[in-house]
Amino acid sequence: MFAKQIRWNPYIIVVVVAAIFVIGTVVFLGIRSNSEVKDVVEQQFTSQQMLLSKQISRGIEEFLNEKVLLIEIMAKQESQVPPDHFASNFKTIYEESSGFYAIQFINESGTVVSGYPEDNLPLGYNLYKNNQSWAFEKVQKDKKTYITGGVQMFEGDLGSFTWVPVFHEGEFKGAILSIIKVSDVTGRFLESYAPQGHVYLVDKYGMILYDSSYKLQIGGKYFDLVNESNLQQINTFQEQINGTEGNGKYFETSEDGTSEERIVTYSLIKWHNQKWSVGITNPVSDVDSLIRSVYIIQGVFIGVSGIFIFVGSMWVILFLVKWNKTLEKKVASKTREIKQSNELLQSANIKLKEHNQLKTEFVSIVSHELRTPLTAMKTSAEFLKDDNCDSSVRLEMLDLIIRNIDRQTRMVSDLLDISRIESGKIKFNPEITNLYSIVKLSVKNVDSLSKEKGVSIDVNLPEDLPHIKTDKDKLIQVFVNLLNNALKFTPKGGNVEISSVESDHIIEVRIKDTGIGIAPGLLDRIFDKFYQIDSTSTRKVGGSGLGLAITKGIIEGQGGSIRVESTQGKGCVFIFTLVK
Amino acid sequence: MKPQIDKDILDLIEQQPDITNKEIAHTLSLPENMIKDLLEELSDTRQKILIVDDELDALTALKIALEAENYNVVEAADGLSAIEKVKSEKPDIVLLDLMMPEIDGIEVCKRLKSDSQHKHVPIIMLTAKGEINDKIEGIEIGADDYVTKPFNLNELKARIKMVLRRSQD
Repeated sequence: MFAKQIRWNPYIIVVVVAAIFVIGTVVFLGIRSNSEVKDVVEQQFTSQQMLLSKQISRGIEEFLNEKVLLIEIMAKQESQVPPDHFASNFKTIYEESSGFYAIQFINESGTVVSGYPEDNLPLGYNLYKNNQSWAFEKVQKDKKTYITGGVQMFEGDLGSFTWVPVFHEGEFKGAILSIIKVSDVTGRFLESYAPQGHVYLVDKYGMILYDSSYKLQIGGKYFDLVNESNLQQINTFQEQINGTEGNGKYFETSEDGTSEERIVTYSLIKWHNQKWSVGITNPVSDVDSLIRSVYIIQGVFIGVSGIFIFVGSMWVILFLVKWNKTLEKKVASKTREIKQSNELLQSANIKLKEHNQLKTEFVSIVSHELRTPLTAMKTSAEFLKDDNCDSSVRLEMLDLIIRNIDRQTRMVSDLLDISRIESGKIKFNPEITNLYSIVKLSVKNVDSLSKEKGVSIDVNLPEDLPHIKTDKDKLIQVFVNLLNNALKFTPKGGNVEISSVESDHIIEVRIKDTGIGIAPGLLDRIFDKFYQIDSTSTRKVGGSGLGLAITKGIIEGQGGSIRVESTQGKGCVFIFTLVK
Repeated sequence: MKPQIDKDILDLIEQQPDITNKEIAHTLSLPENMIKDLLEELSDTRQKILIVDDELDALTALKIALEAENYNVVEAADGLSAIEKVKSEKPDIVLLDLMMPEIDGIEVCKRLKSDSQHKHVPIIMLTAKGEINDKIEGIEIGADDYVTKPFNLNELKARIKMVLRRSQD
């Protein structure tokens, strides 16, 4: 229904397309800025994680190097090997600087001679005898500290062995071996790592020293532990153990088969000849969860913008549709007005043409009616002038001339009447009169015609008719006209009857004859000027053709009405009303 | 019928030059008065004019004036009776009014001029100014002349004479 109401005008299509374009642009920019935000947040997140890795590795590095430095100072401080073989020093160091598992002195013959704490010492253990002397020999030869990688200790724990050679005046006196348990280091630095995500520690050979996720077995080789097909993870790890610091991403498949992308950052721990690396991993989804709120806000923004644009464009469309409808309505009403005024003009034009035609006809008829008596008069007069004729012929001619003069006088007078009636200039001089006396006068006026035709006139009026206010002369004219008419068209022996009916405000007068009557179709036209049912018969009875038109004008001019009823062949009744 | 009666009367007179009106009436079984009128008519050598006009007074005045000029005048009040009169009376000339009810003068003229027996009868149209556009139209429909109403009697008489002379030539 709505769609029916909308006409898809071009501008509506433009608005719709523009709205779609704007909404599309907003969505596109939103998505793009989302991915930019994600990149930025991820970068921030990564560098934060990186910073953390560095902090941890720096802490471990300082701790380990500090331990080694203590031992080295002690080894070089004494002018010679003290008699207790550093045992008191060991105790002090062990107690003041926590983190050592054991510190011991091995004399130049490779036998453990002293150390602290005694519980952790294999006193009297000879390296050579047990084929464990290669590190001892290496420091004696290199004359500098050497640290072994993670070594399985007797206690089944991973330990790091630091060998510091002791020389006295260039002569090798033995070596101080300090053992730091890897679990002590990781417990001190890594286990306190609280944030989510995992932290792990590897050495340069890829041996796992610690893994907070417990997925990788401590002491195992990394490459043996991860899935070989996960090249991304292996490459990242390779970069870690070869490089100093960096970051990377890889997918990790968990036991239940789900795959998760993780961000890894790593940082190097340099400890004399040993190189360890701390790695921290976090799932990328953590970044996503960080920026989820941003997504939500952006989504809301996009949605709201879309709704605003949609509502706005709908409003514009509705406005345009409404405007268009208003315009169409205006055009339609203007068109209707123009059509109406056109029709009015056309009908006025037709009326004017008809009027003009009637006028031309009227002038033509009038000129004919005026000229006809003139022709008879002129012929007669010229004849009388030239001829010496009999007195009877002369008399006949003179009668003819007089008759025609009368006829023309009547015609001119009737023309003046009709002209006054039509132009509305007819003047009535109303006076209080007695209708009965007017009828009597009128009847007397047509008395000669009545006798001549042998038609009687019966007056059936009550004598107590009220007086009426009317133009007496004109009312007589009306009666004379109608009586003349009735007499003319009534054959010999017939009669004409005048009667009246009185009501509250009017008197209705009826003039009834027993004449030839009028055909029903012609009843309306007999009041037209110059309308003659049969002009030959009219001429026979003599008449201007204006009598009824004048009669009607007089009656209507004084507030009355006139009509005629007739049965053809049996006569007719002229009925007119007079206002009391 | 009338031409036949005329012929019968003439035949009787030829056979019996002394025959009386009464005998002729008896022979033809007709009233004696009618025979007398017919004989008068037959012996009338005056030129015959048919005046056609629906206005009685105009017709009467013209009739009196032309009879005084020694014309034999017959009259008709409308177009149809005018055509009848031309056939029965065989007028020498027709004075034809233009404006008449039913069949007007133009139609009467057209009918007469298209009839081979009567097309030679000269016609003078009597018209009022404005009733006919110009003289040419009056003459085109076959009228021999044309006089404007109200006319000068002497002019009309002169035109009648002229038209009659022309038709006799």
